[in-house]
Amino acid sequence: MPSKSGHELVPVHELVSDKETKELLKTMNLDITNLPRIFSTDPQAVKLGARPGQVIRILRRFENATLPYYRVVVED
Amino acid sequence: MFMARDKVDKKYAVEYGEPVGIIAAQSVGEPGTQMILRSFHLAGIESTISTSGLPRIIELVDAKKKPSTPITYIYLDERIGKSFDRAQEVLKKVNEVRMSNIAKRVLENFSKGKIKVILDVQELQSENLTARQVASRIEKELGKVDATVEEGGIIINMHTKNLKDIRAASIKIMKALVSGVDGAGKATIRKDDRTGEFYLVSGGSNIEGVMAVDGVDKERTTTNDVFAIYRLFGIEAARNALGNELKRTLKEQKISVEDRHLFLIADAMTASGTIKGVGRHGLSGEKKSVFARAAYEETLKHLIHAAAYGEVDPMKGVTENILVGKQIPIGTGSVKLAIKKEDLAKIKPKDAKKE
Repeated sequence: MPSKSGHELVPVHELVSDKETKELLKTMNLDITNLPRIFSTDPQAVKLGARPGQVIRILRRFENATLPYYRVVVED
Repeated sequence: MFMARDKVDKKYAVEYGEPVGIIAAQSVGEPGTQMILRSFHLAGIESTISTSGLPRIIELVDAKKKPSTPITYIYLDERIGKSFDRAQEVLKKVNEVRMSNIAKRVLENFSKGKIKVILDVQELQSENLTARQVASRIEKELGKVDATVEEGGIIINMHTKNLKDIRAASIKIMKALVSGVDGAGKATIRKDDRTGEFYLVSGGSNIEGVMAVDGVDKERTTTNDVFAIYRLFGIEAARNALGNELKRTLKEQKISVEDRHLFLIADAMTASGTIKGVGRHGLSGEKKSVFARAAYEETLKHLIHAAAYGEVDPMKGVTENILVGKQIPIGTGSVKLAIKKEDLAKIKPKDAKKE
């Protein structure tokens, strides 16, 4: 199956809007600093043009399910 | 991992407060004891022998910058992968051949200012190269020299009698890349038993250079060098590569561990945005709690540092709470009683007075 991202190992990355981020953190009862990180210099973050402080949603494929994972963009 | 419970099979759903890290550690650690410490190899079967077993696991978990045996798995475009001959054409373009591989000897003639390269005819033929091609490659590499093909070798006229220049040139010739991709290593063709597809395996990790070659499938080509993947594709790809490598290494030893445990380790190692090892210089050495760090390694260093700088231990982890004999924040222990400040004011001290 051809992947949208260009390589098998790279799942689809997408930017999460600020409003959605707020809701997300509320439902997960998390502070934004608790999220796993991704550097702003990361090839995928550069591709999206993400700025530090934004959240990237990663659609991980595991077996037959697609599960969202979130990373906050931080400065390198 | 944030797993939405409704989307995952109930069987795998994790309860809140479940110590998934400890379970992962035990699940990998127990079968890990059965792994052979130093792997033996079977002679003559594979041209690229990779590190396997426990040494490989340690390499991955310690986040070593370069694997001791880098390997690139080069998959080919659909049509090319089906035919052995076309796969061989791609192999020729990828396979790294240096002058030192095809030259028998390099003779320097200082008085005439010439260098003679004696070629190994057999090697030349097996790489499908001609002496003419090699000569033009040398001319390109050195510039300002004339290389002519003669019986038994190539004569290079340096147009100079400077000793230093000639010696430098002969060293440069030996290192020169004749054909293939720089850093790709020696490549061999393999056949996938399941799909009948041909693919290449090479002993290098220049994945970017290999992907630029015509006929190589850019989507599937991968390497066991996790850091190379990280640099090229970013942290998520590195996480997947790390998990896949752990999985493959264990599978090779016929050890079955649930994938989720392995990917949890990969998640923990990549949570900071870069790949960190799990040891003293990585995850364990960066814990917030002083006690947890002191309980692991270099006890005095951490305690003295904490005393000198007035560090505060929030006592939120497992290790430090076991250490002081408190309930650990796992499962039922992770539930705390809380009351809002405003509600506290509503409680009247009436009942207390009666007693």
